[in-house]
Amino acid sequence: MENIIEVKNIKRYYKIAKEEKGFWASLKSLVNKKYEIKKAVDDISFEIKKGEITGFIGKNGAGKSTTIKMLSGILYPDSGTVKIDGYIPYKQRKQYVKNIGVVFGQKSQLHWDLPLIESFELMKYIYKIPKKVYEENLKKFVELLDMEDFINQPVRQLSLGQRMRGDIVAALLHSPKLVFLDEPTIGLDVVAKEKIREFIKYMNKNEQTTIIFTTHDMQDIEKVCERLIIIDQGKKVYDGTIAEIKNKYSNIKNIEVMYEDGSKEMKTFDINKIPMNQVMEKLFTEESIKDISICEPEIDGIIRDIYEGKIELNADTKGE
Amino acid sequence: MRTYVEFAIKKFQNKMAYRLEFFMGIVNTIITIVVYLCIYKALYEGKAEVDGISYAMTATSFVISLGLSNAFHFNEMFIQDKIHDGSITNEFLKPVNFVFRLLWENIGEGLFRVVFNFLPAVVFACFYTKLCAPYSMGNFIIMLISVALGYLVLWLLSLIIQVLSFWLFSVWGIMTIKNVIVNILSGVFLPLWFMPDIIKKIIVFTPFESIYFTPIRIYLGEVTGMEMLSKLSLQLMWIGILGGMAGVLWSKGVKKLVVQGG
Amino acid sequence: MGELRTMMQMLKMSFLTRLEYRVDTLVATTAVFVRESMNIIVIYLALLKFDKINDWNVDEMLFLFSILFVTYAFVVSIFADLRHFSDMIRGGRFDRLVIRPRGLLIQLILNNADLMASAGHGTLGIILFIVSAGRVGIVWNATTIMYYVGAIIGGILIQGGMFIFFSSLCFYFVELESVREILYWNMRKFAGYPISIYSKLIQGLMIYVVPFAFVNYFPAQYLLRKPDMANYNELYMYIAPLVGVVVYALAYVFWRISVKRYTSTGN
Repeated sequence: MENIIEVKNIKRYYKIAKEEKGFWASLKSLVNKKYEIKKAVDDISFEIKKGEITGFIGKNGAGKSTTIKMLSGILYPDSGTVKIDGYIPYKQRKQYVKNIGVVFGQKSQLHWDLPLIESFELMKYIYKIPKKVYEENLKKFVELLDMEDFINQPVRQLSLGQRMRGDIVAALLHSPKLVFLDEPTIGLDVVAKEKIREFIKYMNKNEQTTIIFTTHDMQDIEKVCERLIIIDQGKKVYDGTIAEIKNKYSNIKNIEVMYEDGSKEMKTFDINKIPMNQVMEKLFTEESIKDISICEPEIDGIIRDIYEGKIELNADTKGE
Repeated sequence: MRTYVEFAIKKFQNKMAYRLEFFMGIVNTIITIVVYLCIYKALYEGKAEVDGISYAMTATSFVISLGLSNAFHFNEMFIQDKIHDGSITNEFLKPVNFVFRLLWENIGEGLFRVVFNFLPAVVFACFYTKLCAPYSMGNFIIMLISVALGYLVLWLLSLIIQVLSFWLFSVWGIMTIKNVIVNILSGVFLPLWFMPDIIKKIIVFTPFESIYFTPIRIYLGEVTGMEMLSKLSLQLMWIGILGGMAGVLWSKGVKKLVVQGG
Repeated sequence: MGELRTMMQMLKMSFLTRLEYRVDTLVATTAVFVRESMNIIVIYLALLKFDKINDWNVDEMLFLFSILFVTYAFVVSIFADLRHFSDMIRGGRFDRLVIRPRGLLIQLILNNADLMASAGHGTLGIILFIVSAGRVGIVWNATTIMYYVGAIIGGILIQGGMFIFFSSLCFYFVELESVREILYWNMRKFAGYPISIYSKLIQGLMIYVVPFAFVNYFPAQYLLRKPDMANYNELYMYIAPLVGVVVYALAYVFWRISVKRYTSTGN
């Protein structure tokens, strides 16, 4: 498959105005501001193939949103290039955005006081969607996401999960080739999350839609994505499959120890450094231990360890 | 500790925002003064007096009443907001009289605005055009009392409408209409001397004259000696009438709230 | 033709939203109407006593006001979203427009219409026009009607251009909203009256800086020919409708430059 997205060495620095206190200082700062530089995105490159689902994760403020904004054409990179489906997003805005759909989980684009269907109608006109395509898509999406019951209800009366489904449909009605989902499962219950995951997978499988997905929920990543890109402090720290990252860290074992007084403690060992038999030996000499259980590393734990700097990523673990 | 620091920062930022607002408020007042003084000047067309009233008197009247009306500005949606978010019942649990607390808060805010909005505007107006000095020291002092009484009349009118929010979902529309009526009939923009006779006759039977026009006439010396006392007692009479009305409405409203549980 | 259909859908949505809050809409419209009537009532009462202001009588004054209100009724609906533009930028709603395949300004214009304010200002403007237009001695023929329509369009463009200009400034200074309110609304306060009553400085501002004089004063002069026109170049009356096009075009150029700066420097 050919690449749909090619990102080369993009950088994006922000000038952050220093807050000045006091009336005159703030008046003065209208004219003469002092800035600090924040490296929101610091030299990131990657390629994404047509039809891939890629999970994009990182702590808050790691640079995910800025990257998504550059990919969707809202921001220019300071340096480096973005090429998506033959377009340069921030230069050929109008042509480019016809081919993409964006869902911002935290910012709905639906009209609060009106029935859901009115917002969909608006998309039809804004994207100039042919009548036939619009009707087919609408019918299909409404069925897949079980929306018949509330499509004629004002958005303000919908639950968060229903509203999010509405937002996803609004972003996909024009059959975009590439879809950005920015935290589409935030704040949803398990059932609603599952419904959205199923839908994303369906779109990817049956419509060959390329999907970029940011989330804080590792279940989303495990269930939906094949590939994972981790960003930290503006840099890409991991890029590879989920199986791979799990495999890489299979040497890390978590052992939960229960003491006689009922308290529990989680201990982490690297069996490449200390073999398991030594670990056990060491544990059994401690008298107060009542029980132990060995846990396989979960993706959550691994990611957390990466964020917290417990796991050092070296060149060969970057999956490239 | 961190939380308290956050509180302090928030408070500070709020104050900052207000200060910009005050600065803008002064600019607003000054521009309104310029517009209306130009209008009066054009209306006078160089005549020394119209109906025995000089341009300087008109200008003085306008500057004082506009300044006071800006200074006596407060949140007129306060009771409605308290009813909507349900916090009005908490207020009844506090060991202070809610209405009096409201009055004193508004007076505090009013004094602040007198200093930061009214005085700068007066200083500007003095440089911009010739204004009348107070008729006498005595009149000036009586005027200050009359201003306070005028403020009470204005405040009670607002309170009566505010209290209606026990029955109405929104009093914003009525409040807007009330403010337009007060601004016109109390002579903020066109001093009452120049009103058509029919309106002048009606105004005598309303509290509007007591708001700005009485203190202004005392300041200019149109009213002197014992007549000042009769004007002040007229103001007091209106305070009594409006206060009584507000009191009755308030206790009925509270009863309704208690019975129906909001 | 896509624009027209999008506009119809947007208008339908604004209208349906207002229907959701019928009582509120009615009250708010009435309140806008009453609030705006105040200045008119004041000048009306004043002229009962003083007769004329710089030779303009009551009917002529009402005609002068009517142009201001009729044009603003259009402006407030067409450019509704530009009034709270810094909120749009801060809240990220502007980014949403960037990822749609349409021009940014056209989306802002089509988006949202403040129908309440429009109805309030519009009703007042029409009432004033009906009351005054027959009594100010204007001969309504093809030329004057065409001039009037042109002047109304010009007035909408001037005020729209000012909205666009001030909104563009939000890309540079997000905090500027209150300053803008002051500038626009205070200059509009001046505009209710014949500008000849003001000092030379204010007249200059009204003609060359915030050109409200071309919204109502010069168009009214073309139709009424009051003696105070002698203070100004006669040409101003004839070019009034064109000034709108120029102001709007300049504002649009500034907008384009500012938007580019926004996406390249971010927020």
